[in-house]
Amino acid sequence: MAEKDLKTILKKIHFTDDAQVMKQIVDQSLQVKLRMGRIRRKIVVMSGKGGVGKSMTTANLSLALARAGLRVGVLDVDLNGPCIPQMLGLDGGFEFMADGVVPATGPYGMKVASMAFLLRPAAPLRWKGPMDLSPVWLGLQEMSVVREFLADILWGDLDYLVVDLPPGAAADKPPVIIGYLPELDGGIVVTTPSEVAQAVVRKSVVYARDLGIRLLGLVENMSGVFCPECNAPVPMFDGGSADLCADLDLRLLGKIPFDPEMARACDTGTPLPPDHRISRYFDAIAEMVQSAVEPQTVVEPQATAVAR
Amino acid sequence: MKFVCIRCESFMTFENVQVPSEQSLGVTFGCPTCGSKVAMVTNPGETAMVNALGVKIGGRTTPVAPMELTRESLKDVRPDAVPAIPAATAQQAMLAKEMEKPAAGGTCPFSSMIAQMKGDGATTDAVGALAWAADATERLERVPSFMRPMIQMGVENYARKNGIATITPEVMDLSKSDQGDMVWSLEAEQRLDNIPSFIRPMAKKEIERIARERGMTQVSDALMEESKSKFLGMGY
Repeated sequence: MAEKDLKTILKKIHFTDDAQVMKQIVDQSLQVKLRMGRIRRKIVVMSGKGGVGKSMTTANLSLALARAGLRVGVLDVDLNGPCIPQMLGLDGGFEFMADGVVPATGPYGMKVASMAFLLRPAAPLRWKGPMDLSPVWLGLQEMSVVREFLADILWGDLDYLVVDLPPGAAADKPPVIIGYLPELDGGIVVTTPSEVAQAVVRKSVVYARDLGIRLLGLVENMSGVFCPECNAPVPMFDGGSADLCADLDLRLLGKIPFDPEMARACDTGTPLPPDHRISRYFDAIAEMVQSAVEPQTVVEPQATAVAR
Repeated sequence: MKFVCIRCESFMTFENVQVPSEQSLGVTFGCPTCGSKVAMVTNPGETAMVNALGVKIGGRTTPVAPMELTRESLKDVRPDAVPAIPAATAQQAMLAKEMEKPAAGGTCPFSSMIAQMKGDGATTDAVGALAWAADATERLERVPSFMRPMIQMGVENYARKNGIATITPEVMDLSKSDQGDMVWSLEAEQRLDNIPSFIRPMAKKEIERIARERGMTQVSDALMEESKSKFLGMGY
């Protein structure tokens, strides 16, 4: 008997997924879709550079949105260095129910999820199993962890979900997020005025746009200090992010001066009061973000219409 | 991945999964035509790769616990985040415990389990207080034994709630479609069935929530259509 040609055989027979692998993967994606379908706007806060204030920006932007009366969720996707709970003064954890995980409740009723709620205090992120140090496996594992954060947290109905991404110009988290959230409303890039930081941030902007992430604008953190005499912000660096924004066609959402009170507020988990000068900076940023993502109803002023 | 029986020119079908050694999986496939079998054994690394996808080989036998993969995989998981035993396993353990007890005086081995499910601690009148017609009893006995107490309890609860003294096959059918306070139209129920089973309970809860918010007591086809955008692409 002549040797059978596998290609010919495969053409004849019908494939069935009796191991249900595809079904399980489809079900996982549907679960994300179902959960995320109840959230009106999803934005990510990102930067190529570490230590520029992504989490601080995430926390304070979320607080500003919540102060505006919006229902806000915060997802800390910095799996290795989660710090959102500390900044928001949350030391509790999750509550596990049959149909999902109840997120922690932060200031203004914000719903917060973070890897910090799953890890023992001071423990680094380490995984069980024989592949825990394999970069290939780690990528796959962390992708599934992000999926579980999106799909299994009982976010409920929210106006905004603000996602704090880990640093890295070409890290794997932005493609994972955009893979699960193709309806993502946009990204906010954080930098400092430092040329070193901006050089790296520039790469992450190009990378994010390559992925199809719409960038809402840039926040320049630590842009200066407040003058002890007149309280006006004084630049600490030569130049700034304006040139970078112009070059990248990016909106400058705000320049946040360094303020020891802000640093202390983040360290102690005591959000700044609404009338604090830094809170007002973030209120302005939150307004710009809203105007960028909310559908605008353009009504021609009546007087102009009459004049025509 | 599929295995092909070259002789029969057919795909082999999944039969079972075994754990021959720690962190290794043995997956058996059989040819549906000639009965030949082949076992694929994964090494620990391959097993870890499959697990990292959150996929159970051969399909799931228990519902997915929230954040199951993350909680099970973390080396330093907080004690309050350690996953509990899945409900089905807990039920099996309870069943095994009941089966170990000596059957004295004709006591139903499932009675305490049923009482526990009822949540009232009562052990009497849990079963047998209602009359079962012969054809209904016969039908109940066709249900797998481990499911039977739950089915019986559900039917009897329905009968008591509706003042029915004798359980017939018709009553059993009616109890199946009893959804509590919220009534589902046949069309709406059919559309619900199209949603993948894994997320169906959540979708059902959400649709009932919408109905209640609107003061409705019935989930209609129209409401399902209206809610469609929320669950777009989920099969209904």
